[in-house]
Amino acid sequence: MKKWIRFLTIAGLVSMTVAAQAANKPAVIRVGAVGSSGKPFAGGINGIVQDQGLLQQEFKNDGIQIQLTLYKGAGPAVNEALAAGKLDIASIGDLPCVIGRAGGLKTRYILGRDNGVNSYIIAAPQANIHSLRDLKGKRISVSKGTKTHLTLNRLLAQVGLTERDVKLVNLSGADASAALATGSVDAIIGGADRPLVQQGLAVDVYDTRKDPIQNKGRGALLVTEEFAKKYPDIVKRVVKAHIRAAYWASQEKNKEALYAVETKTGSSRQSLVVDLAGQNLKEKYNPTLNASSVASFKDIVDFAFRSKLIRQKFDVDQWFDKSYSEVALKELGLENYWK
Amino acid sequence: MSKLKFTLLFLGSLMIGNASLQAAENSNTETQVTKGEEVSTENASSAGVTEPQQPITREDFEGVRNEIAVLKDAYDRTLANNIANSQRSLKISGTLSSSYSIPTSSNASPDPIPTFSGGSATLSFKGNLKKDYAEGRNLDYVLSLATTTSGTVTNYVQPTDAYLQYSIFPSLDNEKPLFYVQFGQQKKPFGLEATTNDDKKPTINSATFVSKLNVSKRDIGILLRGDISPTLDLGFNYRIPLIEYSIGIFNGSGPNALDTNKQKDIGGRIIINAPVDYNSSYRGLSLGGSFYRGKDDISKTIGTSTIKDIGSRNLYGVDLAYVATPIGFTAEYASQESQYLSGTTKANIVKPTRKSDGYTLTVFYNFGDQFLKNARVESRQDDYWPTTYQPFVRFDHYDPDKAVSGDDTSIVTYGFNVFFAETTKLQFNYNVRHERSNSDLHQNDFVAQFQYGF
Repeated sequence: MKKWIRFLTIAGLVSMTVAAQAANKPAVIRVGAVGSSGKPFAGGINGIVQDQGLLQQEFKNDGIQIQLTLYKGAGPAVNEALAAGKLDIASIGDLPCVIGRAGGLKTRYILGRDNGVNSYIIAAPQANIHSLRDLKGKRISVSKGTKTHLTLNRLLAQVGLTERDVKLVNLSGADASAALATGSVDAIIGGADRPLVQQGLAVDVYDTRKDPIQNKGRGALLVTEEFAKKYPDIVKRVVKAHIRAAYWASQEKNKEALYAVETKTGSSRQSLVVDLAGQNLKEKYNPTLNASSVASFKDIVDFAFRSKLIRQKFDVDQWFDKSYSEVALKELGLENYWK
Repeated sequence: MSKLKFTLLFLGSLMIGNASLQAAENSNTETQVTKGEEVSTENASSAGVTEPQQPITREDFEGVRNEIAVLKDAYDRTLANNIANSQRSLKISGTLSSSYSIPTSSNASPDPIPTFSGGSATLSFKGNLKKDYAEGRNLDYVLSLATTTSGTVTNYVQPTDAYLQYSIFPSLDNEKPLFYVQFGQQKKPFGLEATTNDDKKPTINSATFVSKLNVSKRDIGILLRGDISPTLDLGFNYRIPLIEYSIGIFNGSGPNALDTNKQKDIGGRIIINAPVDYNSSYRGLSLGGSFYRGKDDISKTIGTSTIKDIGSRNLYGVDLAYVATPIGFTAEYASQESQYLSGTTKANIVKPTRKSDGYTLTVFYNFGDQFLKNARVESRQDDYWPTTYQPFVRFDHYDPDKAVSGDDTSIVTYGFNVFFAETTKLQFNYNVRHERSNSDLHQNDFVAQFQYGF
């Protein structure tokens, strides 16, 4: 009888230990990011993490699966997946993640991503638009609620205009290009890929390449509060993999390889070369949560509130969680690299 | 003729482009061609070129490619601007259902038999005749076909929806109200269940009152529908109007039929939605009200003669729905007052009113991986099939004549749905049926149906 009691006690302790270990290690990490133009490849830092298999390498010995999902519906689709509890880690643009957080998504901002995402304004040749000022009264296509929407507002503010001084048409992707080509809108704001310009159907008006960093789009790496609370060490290691990618991308010697990664998303090499020309890669791929990124996000919250994109403000300082990146940077010996 | 010339020019350009590409590939097979270098004679011969020529540079190649792209774009735009049904988006969708039913207990005579059923099939085409990129005042069309069943045989296909839709208000700005006009054969704007597509319903069979009161039948007419005061949550691409409305005038004689009397029927529906953001617990809460006032041909045969007249048919309905995850419910009540002819001789014939009503209550619970509207996944190489499970229970009651007692029908359905995708599901229903009008029929049956939407 005593033997049985001892056996059951040991078995109970062993099963409790196994259960406790399992609780500290998820079977799968569900990562979501904004997808590109129909290709199963992410861009920017996410693209490098995916291409080099950095998350898979990090968790190979733990037997943890990485489930990467790229959402064609951009930021709103990532927010929807977060709300439905389908993601643990999310990579998303600046404005959508602010709207999502203000809308009640329980997330923490754990790492910056590409800081210098450029926007390009192109116009129909007959629209007679040569500068930002010429946009007044014109029909401009923008995908509302995305980071280009925010950038457009900032650019308009530069010349004393607001959204009310132009006519915004909510279109994206192929629809926006078709609208410009058929003369239904006068200008569109989008990314570096501008096939209409190459085809002679549109002209460049303005781009943010030479602008200060606050005029450029930013990306964010988020974790759900539930996952962070449950698996803090796993979150730190996810952050570490992303910092490795940022460090790799920030080096000039890797520029050609960076183009190779980016072209997998369908972007043309020519556009990428133009886009990155003269850009400080170390600044662009600085993932640290510094005073500049905090200030930028406070500004985004103010903008979203003023524009009635969110109903209530929230505390950016509380949302940012530097603890994971600080430890990860130290472990990688990079604590002074971006200072 | 000009189109033919343009096409020839375009094809010619493509051939030149391909030839250049071929030459570029051939000359690159054995030697690296860089700007300023000449192609070796050996390579030129192998490419079928006998004379020395200038090497192709990256710029040349990009130039040819751009010219082809410009020509192709111009060609596409010419087509799009001049041909209404060119390459504009056409959405083809449909549903197919296959089922198997087993009566588990019945006091009916003769005993009902278990049977496989091909069920029903629908095929729908939705497209755009005129796309207004600037404001979204689009002209769209919808054509749907469905199999119809006569007795035990599915025997022919006929149009269900066939209408044009024009957006009177600009539809591009989600923050503004929408307003459409629809002309043709379409659903009547009555009730919740009758206006919901089959692929969205948890049950295999419709509520009894939906079929008995004829509210699900299409009709030919004109419908105005729109919404007021939308709430837009851009962070989730979610739009919900405070009020949705629709009102229409119809023949009242059903689908694919001309009117049989001079009177037209009028129907309308209003829905009040909870004006909340995507992340709110009240998302999916709505209250609806419907009415329908129509005139039907009524007749009565006395002896060898048939007396014909026009009788009014008025319906009212109210519904409440909370369609959310994980738990949700729908409740609906409909009442009808219809005139009919009664009497034993021509002299004493009268036109009394019969009052009928019915209601349903469905409660469901969703668990598993949920299908998300915005999520069109790119990164997985396989198809995206989020599997959702949905147990539900439905109470269905119908009374054909309120003045007569003991003629009502009650059905309680216990069901379980497995959604393989948003519109593809395996359904299991266990129906407990009590028809007091039908010799006090008690019958329980189990029905399994696989409904696949595409």
